[in-house]
Amino acid sequence: MVDKGKKSKVEEAASDHSDGELVLSIERLQEIQDEIEKVNEEASDKVLEVEQKYNEIRRPIYGKRNEIVRSIPDFWLTAFLSHPVIADLLTEEDQKILKYLVSLDVEDFKDVKSGYSITLNFSPNPYFEDTSLTKTYSFFDEGTTKITGTTIKWKEGMNIANGVAHKKGGKRPLSEESFFSWFSEIQQKNLAEGFSDEVAEILKEDLWPNPLKYFNNEADDEDFEGDDDEEEKGSEFDNEDESGDEDDEADDS
Amino acid sequence: MAADKSKKAKVAELGAEGEPETVDGELVLSIEKLQEIQEELEKINEEASEKVFEVEQKYNEVRRPVYVKRGDIIKNIPDFWLTAFLSHPALGDLLSEKDQEVFKFMQSIEVEDFKDVKMGYSITFNFTENPYFEDTKLTKSYAFADEGTTNISGTKIRWKQGMDLLANGNVQETKGSKRPFVEESFFSWFNENLQENLSGVMDEVAEIIKEDLWPNPLKYFNNEIDEDDFDGEDDEEETDEDGEEDDDDDED
Repeated sequence: MVDKGKKSKVEEAASDHSDGELVLSIERLQEIQDEIEKVNEEASDKVLEVEQKYNEIRRPIYGKRNEIVRSIPDFWLTAFLSHPVIADLLTEEDQKILKYLVSLDVEDFKDVKSGYSITLNFSPNPYFEDTSLTKTYSFFDEGTTKITGTTIKWKEGMNIANGVAHKKGGKRPLSEESFFSWFSEIQQKNLAEGFSDEVAEILKEDLWPNPLKYFNNEADDEDFEGDDDEEEKGSEFDNEDESGDEDDEADDS
Repeated sequence: MAADKSKKAKVAELGAEGEPETVDGELVLSIEKLQEIQEELEKINEEASEKVFEVEQKYNEVRRPVYVKRGDIIKNIPDFWLTAFLSHPALGDLLSEKDQEVFKFMQSIEVEDFKDVKMGYSITFNFTENPYFEDTKLTKSYAFADEGTTNISGTKIRWKQGMDLLANGNVQETKGSKRPFVEESFFSWFNENLQENLSGVMDEVAEIIKEDLWPNPLKYFNNEIDEDDFDGEDDEEETDEDGEEDDDDDED
């Protein structure tokens, strides 16, 4: 296989150079590439080992974190709303549903490289039967990705993920699509570009590692940690009738 | 919305009032504990990063002499890097016809990490003496600063008289009607110092050269990744034909 391919190139060049030398060089080059590949595989394995090890270390800490977060009302909802990109994806209905969001859980597969899952845990709610909504990404050696997502068991008349969007007052002309449709987006958009799922990336790489940053609005340009800002926040919401009702989320970004 | 307000109201209460009520007190405590947990996580993440860098550093050292050996062997294969570059589906497309003429003088490509892998890397195109520019090395370097920004610098090409492929008015049109638009010269890549172009895409060329071409150029030299060529013998015969007609990317 390789031999034949290379020989065709070799045949071209043969007119100018000694056949034997060239063939030899290319063979030696192939050996070197094989050597490099072995080294690269070894390196990848070692890196994977490190990542696996630290994933094990992190798990119980995430568990501890979950316990603490339970005593902070609407923690994850607030973090979601405070993230500039995620907030933009939430319709009003979505926000009502997210009030029932108990926790976010991002978990790598045991060997880290094969994939991961993102789970939203909910308390019993009027919208759907499920208590967990999960989206899972499996990476195969050939480079393909398999994506699966919970098929949400919507209660009667509550299915907002499939075009039953309530457009109140044209507030959000662009994003009427429910955030929850994300769970049914299992088609890879652009295979040529490889795997890309913005929401997954944000939840896994951004929100999950440090949701407190968003909860505290530290990412927001305007809100810092100073006392002054606390007071400002207080006064902002004296006017809550004006600002609160008009726009809920995206203004923070 | 409601949650947002309630959170902010709660936080406001905490800041403005001297003596929070019990409920708020619990909340403050929870948030403090959460902050501690986040700091613990951050320490772990940093440690993990360090360990990963150590591994990468170690294997970089292992690879270096192998790459040197490889460079010596490649010297005996005429136009190796040129062929590999042109055969790469993404890179080949980047060279205008004029660029290709300049590239005939390209001897080798080198990718080198800084001694401390974390700090960055450079990509160098080595050229023999040629009628286009004075330089024999064209390098683009990426230096990663601690804050996460990247300092990008590229050789300022010393074009010879009238040879500046980047000068205004030096229109490069391809023969035939294949590409009716004026093509930008690949050499403008050395001037591009923006980490991200407007659409937020990182320097793809650098990534492709570093992560794809450099690790295994032989794959492209052999055209192994050509869509038409698979592992079957029939396809190898097709390569004979394709190989003779064109080395580049006309197959696209």
